[in-house]
Amino acid sequence: MLPYRVRVAVWIIVYLLFILGPLFALLVGALPPARDFWTEFSVALGYAGLAMMSLQFGLTARFRYVTNPWGEDIIYHFHRQISLIAVGLVVAHPLILFAVRPELLALLNSIQAPWRARFAAMSTYSLIALVVMSLWRVKLNIRYETWHLTHILLAIIAVTAGIAHMIGWGFYLVYPWKRALWIGLTIFWIGLLLYIRIIKPLFQLRRPYRVSEVREERGDTWTLVMQPDGHPGFRFTPGQFGWLTVWGSPFKITGHPFSFSSSAAVTDGRVDMTIRNLGDLTSEIHKVPVGKRVYLDGPYGAFTIGNPADMHVLIAGGVGITPMMSMLRTLADHGDKRPVILLYGSRDWESITFREELEALKERLNLTIIHVLSNPPAGWTGEQGRIDAEVFRRHLPPPYADHEYFICGPNVMMDSIEKALGELHVPMSKYHSERYSFV
Amino acid sequence: MRRLFANRVALATGLIVILMSVLFALSRVAG
Repeated sequence: MLPYRVRVAVWIIVYLLFILGPLFALLVGALPPARDFWTEFSVALGYAGLAMMSLQFGLTARFRYVTNPWGEDIIYHFHRQISLIAVGLVVAHPLILFAVRPELLALLNSIQAPWRARFAAMSTYSLIALVVMSLWRVKLNIRYETWHLTHILLAIIAVTAGIAHMIGWGFYLVYPWKRALWIGLTIFWIGLLLYIRIIKPLFQLRRPYRVSEVREERGDTWTLVMQPDGHPGFRFTPGQFGWLTVWGSPFKITGHPFSFSSSAAVTDGRVDMTIRNLGDLTSEIHKVPVGKRVYLDGPYGAFTIGNPADMHVLIAGGVGITPMMSMLRTLADHGDKRPVILLYGSRDWESITFREELEALKERLNLTIIHVLSNPPAGWTGEQGRIDAEVFRRHLPPPYADHEYFICGPNVMMDSIEKALGELHVPMSKYHSERYSFV
Repeated sequence: MRRLFANRVALATGLIVILMSVLFALSRVAG
């Protein structure tokens, strides 16, 4: 596999090519007479902004070669950041035009404006609504599922209306091959979305799972044990996750991402997901009846066991233990004796999910466990508070940059751990993170 | 740190796109 830095560089170059390629293709061949600088600049911003918006469908299409080398959570974070920039570019397009050519302000009158201007307004308003709903979903009290469906519909309207506006205006898209290029790219990106939302669910319908056990764990947490129903299931690598649909069909926007907690070494297709009660859907997990049909879309994620020669440092906060549990169970099943240190942050001693099993795994692995409790019992002599650089210095052998780090937990913890690793001069290529609240 | 890096990539992408849009416009006006 290519070195980490090279993979990141290739990813960024390909991403930029998808934006700038179609833009500069407009300059190929015979061109209409140029207008003033600001008009041409604003038009270029509009085209590039639309290309960036269309690319969002590719970013979130859950393809492994897109999420590698970042990890799914970082891709979603990037999706949010780059969307704001793309919307800024798209909005700048009419604002610059209105500033240099005030007569165009008349196009804002949607009743009298031609369709090409109406499409532009439709696209811009959809984008603004999309951003507002995403930034303030919780404050606006919009349910996740409602927001998700609206998000997809607004994105399709924004991109489709945007391309309709470009074609309606003509100018750079007078030539059929240029029109075909931009329409083709738009269809391709929207097609990816339809693949995720229609084609893949069709496959899932034919490959359901049955809940064979609902097991209570420590810390208000439940494990769903699922068996493939009439098919062999899929293979995953430990640390990966899947989108679980418990209530309703896979066509509904009700899938939620959860890590697999079972060993990847099982051969009967069994998959476990360990889910903590964090409100919304997760509070209903313990009510799932045995025998219920559920749907799993997966496996996803690049968060998985690293180089066997490196010491593995697993850092888990709360239910962030689930992907680590899959790694440890898999290593144990393979008889893998690589050195592993687990730094595990929990609220208190009684809420440590998998506490007894982790102790038992020490017999089968070269495993050291350090519990860090935020609310320790009286007489506790172990680590307390939060996992930080000092905890690393006390328990990890230097040089710290030689180990591989795997981090999964709440956002606050992830941020502080990544900062601590920076203080210890651990390069980004040596740590892997997965946020379980990335959507 | 990765999120910070992703932020920087997003910002750099935005700046590159703006710069390329300037080049696009200049090439048209100059051409």
